[in-house]
Amino acid sequence: HITEDSPKLLQHVKFHSSNFENILTWESGPDGTPDTVYSVEYKTYGEREWLAKMGCQRITRKSCNLTMETGNLTELYYARITAIDPGGRSATKMTDRFSSLQHTTIKPPDVTCVPRVRSIQMIIHPIPIPIHAGDGHQLTLEEIFHDLFYRLELRVNHTYQMHLGGKQREYEFFGLTPDTEYLGTIMILVPTWSKESSPYVCGVKTLSDRTWT
Amino acid sequence: EFRFGSCRVEGVVLPELWEAFQAMKHTVQAQDNVTSVRLLKQEVLQNVSDTESCYLIHALLKFYLNTVFKNYHKKIVEFKILKSFSTLANNFLAIMSKLQPSQENETFSISESAHRRFLLFRGAFKQLDIEAALTKAFGEVDILLTWMEKFYQL
Repeated sequence: HITEDSPKLLQHVKFHSSNFENILTWESGPDGTPDTVYSVEYKTYGEREWLAKMGCQRITRKSCNLTMETGNLTELYYARITAIDPGGRSATKMTDRFSSLQHTTIKPPDVTCVPRVRSIQMIIHPIPIPIHAGDGHQLTLEEIFHDLFYRLELRVNHTYQMHLGGKQREYEFFGLTPDTEYLGTIMILVPTWSKESSPYVCGVKTLSDRTWT
Repeated sequence: EFRFGSCRVEGVVLPELWEAFQAMKHTVQAQDNVTSVRLLKQEVLQNVSDTESCYLIHALLKFYLNTVFKNYHKKIVEFKILKSFSTLANNFLAIMSKLQPSQENETFSISESAHRRFLLFRGAFKQLDIEAALTKAFGEVDILLTWMEKFYQL
């Protein structure tokens, strides 16, 4: 027999979203024990029915991947967790209303920094995200955020940096000194949604100049 | 700049509206216990043509200003979120005052389509008890802003 009388079994029920990968996490409350089991349900805002998340029923771990279940960008969602301890006491807690468009954070870009003799090329690779378009193709961040752009910086020395930026994926910093170390940082920005990734950093040394002078 | 079809609205910065709403969102949405009802459903906002969008946004903003914001003001004061509320309300007012939906005959059917969408929203609103409806409508401003973002260019 399960009694709903122990709200302290469970706390901090929330979504964490990064590049549209949506993970539900929670913590054991003060009354929680290692044998407490947790069951996850989710629903679309506006729908009546709560749905049990397969694979997250009566689990002891404190996270559950709901990426597939919360992948429609025009929908908002709730999740809730029921904790049951060995003594049959239980607690149920619900998340805030969740929208992956609003909540997701942007991971650093995936970049290849290519040193040359007097320049450094930076190639930004598309980042597939776990969301599919109507025609089934996997979307990229650029397809979702139409004002997404990249900001690149090359630190030449303590006082001098070079900057590039834009929507394209290939950039090249010219006019550099051969055989010299440089530090590149590349970020993703989405102004309309006030989103900004943490930087991808690459340390690069330009090639030696082997031409006979 | 917003471009709702031929309706242009300049001087409103969408990220500022987002910032204002985010400051109130948790407080307001936590008051909405009716998780099985959504006022701004997909049928209201999905597949809206550019031409239709000006009529629809005008009707929605007018409703939000004259009904939702006006009657929810007491709660806003109670929750001490007046500053963010004013930012949002003033920007909605600015947008609405710059919208001039065309009244020509050939756009009558389009405005009618927008009006049916608006009636869907208002109908759902009226089915709830007024306090619950005001709380829910205010809590759904993020759905409205997400839709408006499609018509926005920095």
